[in-house]
Amino acid sequence: MSTVQSDPSTMIRSNENPLIRFATGAGLIVLTYVVLYALHAFQQPRALTSYSIAALFNNTAPLALAAAGQAIIVISRGFDLSVAGVISICNVTLAVYPMDGPGGAMASVAMCLAIGGSVGLVNGYLVAVLKLQSIAATLATMIICQGIALVILKAPGGAVSEWIVYEMTDRIFSVIPVSGLVLGGVVLIWLALKRTSFGISIYAIGADETSAALSGINVTRVRFLAHVLAGCTYGLAGFMLSAQTATGNPTSGTPLLMLSFAAVALGGTALTGGRGGVFASIVGAATLILLQKVLFSSGVSSFYTGMFQGSILILAVVFSSLLARLGDTK
Amino acid sequence: MKSTSKSSSQEHNLAQTGDTRVSAKISRETISTLSVAILCLVLLFSARLINPALGSWSQIETVLVLGFFLVVLSFGQGLVILTGGLDLSLPATITLGGILATNWIGAGNPDEWYLLPAVLAVCGLVGLASAIGVIWLRVPPFIMTMATSIIVASALLGYTRGTPRGTAPDMAVALMKGDILGVPAPIVVLIIFVIVGWLFQSRSVYGRYLYAIGTNIEAARNAAVPVTAMRILPYVLSAICAGFVGIALVGYSSGATLRMGDDYLLPSIASVVIGGSLILGGRGTFLGSVGGALLLTILGTIIATLGLEFGFRTIIEGSIILIALLLLREELFQKLRSLKS
Repeated sequence: MSTVQSDPSTMIRSNENPLIRFATGAGLIVLTYVVLYALHAFQQPRALTSYSIAALFNNTAPLALAAAGQAIIVISRGFDLSVAGVISICNVTLAVYPMDGPGGAMASVAMCLAIGGSVGLVNGYLVAVLKLQSIAATLATMIICQGIALVILKAPGGAVSEWIVYEMTDRIFSVIPVSGLVLGGVVLIWLALKRTSFGISIYAIGADETSAALSGINVTRVRFLAHVLAGCTYGLAGFMLSAQTATGNPTSGTPLLMLSFAAVALGGTALTGGRGGVFASIVGAATLILLQKVLFSSGVSSFYTGMFQGSILILAVVFSSLLARLGDTK
Repeated sequence: MKSTSKSSSQEHNLAQTGDTRVSAKISRETISTLSVAILCLVLLFSARLINPALGSWSQIETVLVLGFFLVVLSFGQGLVILTGGLDLSLPATITLGGILATNWIGAGNPDEWYLLPAVLAVCGLVGLASAIGVIWLRVPPFIMTMATSIIVASALLGYTRGTPRGTAPDMAVALMKGDILGVPAPIVVLIIFVIVGWLFQSRSVYGRYLYAIGTNIEAARNAAVPVTAMRILPYVLSAICAGFVGIALVGYSSGATLRMGDDYLLPSIASVVIGGSLILGGRGTFLGSVGGALLLTILGTIIATLGLEFGFRTIIEGSIILIALLLLREELFQKLRSLKS
């Protein structure tokens, strides 16, 4: 890797240069989203009703949560392919063992967090303790998880409990979307976590593992916990996906694998670690979903959505690294 | 971890230049290739105990024909990984090859002798586009090949309007269904491919360049390695291999689908990793990847005949990849070396 090694502390505190702050923070992607949303609202004035906004949040939540977990791993310099497997297992579990009522929903969330957390434990052990390459180790755990999902439910079917399906996609006081609250909660937890020594350590080991270790960070422990945390976030993504689809599908997580990386990259998080954020990745995911809607209402055949997504992905990465480099040369 | 991997590949290079220590002679590559090959044989013969129909010549034939696709893909994927990249565009490029072969050419087309190479050239352009993004736009390979994959898949969806038509070209059918002197044609082609691939990666100067770039790109540049050209080459070759697999798949199943490549991406990476390559680049052999690809194929056929559910099959496959990774860990090799010397 030919990345410039820089002092982790400057990476976290971010440079005074407003340009680099804009490029490496969430500014760029939020601006992109706002512009895209304005376009969307212009094309479809109905998009501004609370119903449409809630629907948009519901569509966004699974990918956004998957991207949030992925971002944690990418910041600590790793790749996590197990996201697809965790989401699939959670989805089929909720469809095969539905638990009704608010109590059942609580139990379901706990179950999803436990599933994601335990896969995260395994990943953490393989990557942090045994020092396997993260992309290879999580490839193996992902395949195993997909197998487990297929054992639980062979073919698409089953029904997620009605309480989850209705309440998690509903609006509180018919204004605030529940899925938006879940996303907001995750962002708040992350913002708090980012200021703890654990949060700073995630950035530090991603930027330069050796100097992080030399400055007294327990690299193994931080990396291990990062995987567990990411796993729990994927579990939550699986929960929200089930609430949205209302049914089980053993391969439901697969389409989110590539898109989670796309969302992270779109959010300006460097795939080489040490730079980026969870909030920006969530907005990145939201942008990918909104883009589909905008293209649809512009009359572009859904066949060609991918061409736009792919091109925007390349443009975003080139643009953000260009801005970052401009800032660096100063 | 990164520094230890560098030192051991330097050790490997020393072995090439006549280091006589016992520990240096047994390179990591040799051990991993041998162990994968031995594992393949053990599996093949132990399969006989499970079911007498297995482990016979006809089963080996089936494994080689089915393994053909994965071996070809793992060559391209292996080259890209060797130089520190990753090719996620394989599924889309396989589908591109397959769909162009059926839609453009089709059965009974007298012009197929030059149209088939043209299909491969179009696939090569996809690889070139990825390489341009990686080298000049400095987009990380993971993102760049993912983006080309999304774009190509979407273009194919639009081009075929969702339903691919056409039939397999005669040459593709002959490649997969014909035979040469009583031996199935795909096996003959596979053997030639493996020999050529091995010569290219391990015996030619180009192969050496790729190892140099994967180990340390700055050092390679200083050593007058044509870095830019040698970084483009793996992506183009990988895309051409994928296109070739697409054509072969069409010949095998006589039709193209829009999802025909999807099942090959992860196995292609898995074959390369099981074969002992470092996913960060700089280390690994084609013969190792061939072993990895055949191992996965043998495993697939054994599990299929056991009548296990697809879910359990997948779990076993994942576990094998995990076991291979655990066995190939750096510390184990260092222990082995210290035992020998």
